Amino acid sequence: MIDRPYDVLSYALLVHAAPYSEQGALSALRFAQAAVAQGHRVSSVFFYRDGVHNASMLMAPPQDEVHLAEGWRSLAQEHGTELLVCVAAGLRRGLMSAEESARHGREAHNVEPPFVLTGLGQLVDAMLGNDRVITFAP
Amino acid sequence: MMLHLLNRSPQFDGIYWDLSEAFGAEDHLLLIEDACYAALPAAAASLAAFGGRVSVLSEDAASRGLLDRLSDGVTVVDMAGFVALTATFPRSLSWF
Repeated sequence: MIDRPYDVLSYALLVHAAPYSEQGALSALRFAQAAVAQGHRVSSVFFYRDGVHNASMLMAPPQDEVHLAEGWRSLAQEHGTELLVCVAAGLRRGLMSAEESARHGREAHNVEPPFVLTGLGQLVDAMLGNDRVITFAP
Repeated sequence: MMLHLLNRSPQFDGIYWDLSEAFGAEDHLLLIEDACYAALPAAAASLAAFGGRVSVLSEDAASRGLLDRLSDGVTVVDMAGFVALTATFPRSLSWF
């Protein structure tokens, strides 16, 4: 039973930070884990600008280091968090789902569910539809 | 009531200046990542404008070896405390 001294809130996180080159992505993941541990809901994480690299299914850090993409996937699987990736920022940086890869005539893709390529409209929805929006900067 | 999140070291004095201009009477500042260096006594001038309403994230201070050297006037919070601050303050603003 979680002791809740205040209301349960819904959060959206906005991640601008690239994995490993900046701390912001790790800060965001640690925050999300702490928020759900307190009984809050992290409804969505929106990855924007260099933050889209968090969504690469090919991420393969050394085994004794934090695996950011795996951390995000666990958050989605265990807590139902939507992992939203800006499609325009993603395509510019070579982040493609199978569908986008086919559309662009490529032979490979590196974005799979629970990460979803989506538009800025989803970010606006997340901003309007949650109690809190927390930005994690590069 | 605004929670300001800052991740830049005091070396980026322009951001500290801009933040001080925007900082309201009921606002609070949380220092994360490299902004933890602002919580050292030697950097006290960079926080003078915030009226003691300043916290620092313990795990980021600890990872930089700063935890035992922080200014007395800065409150130390853990990641659960970070979440609690965002629950207390209805809005947050990240500076970078």
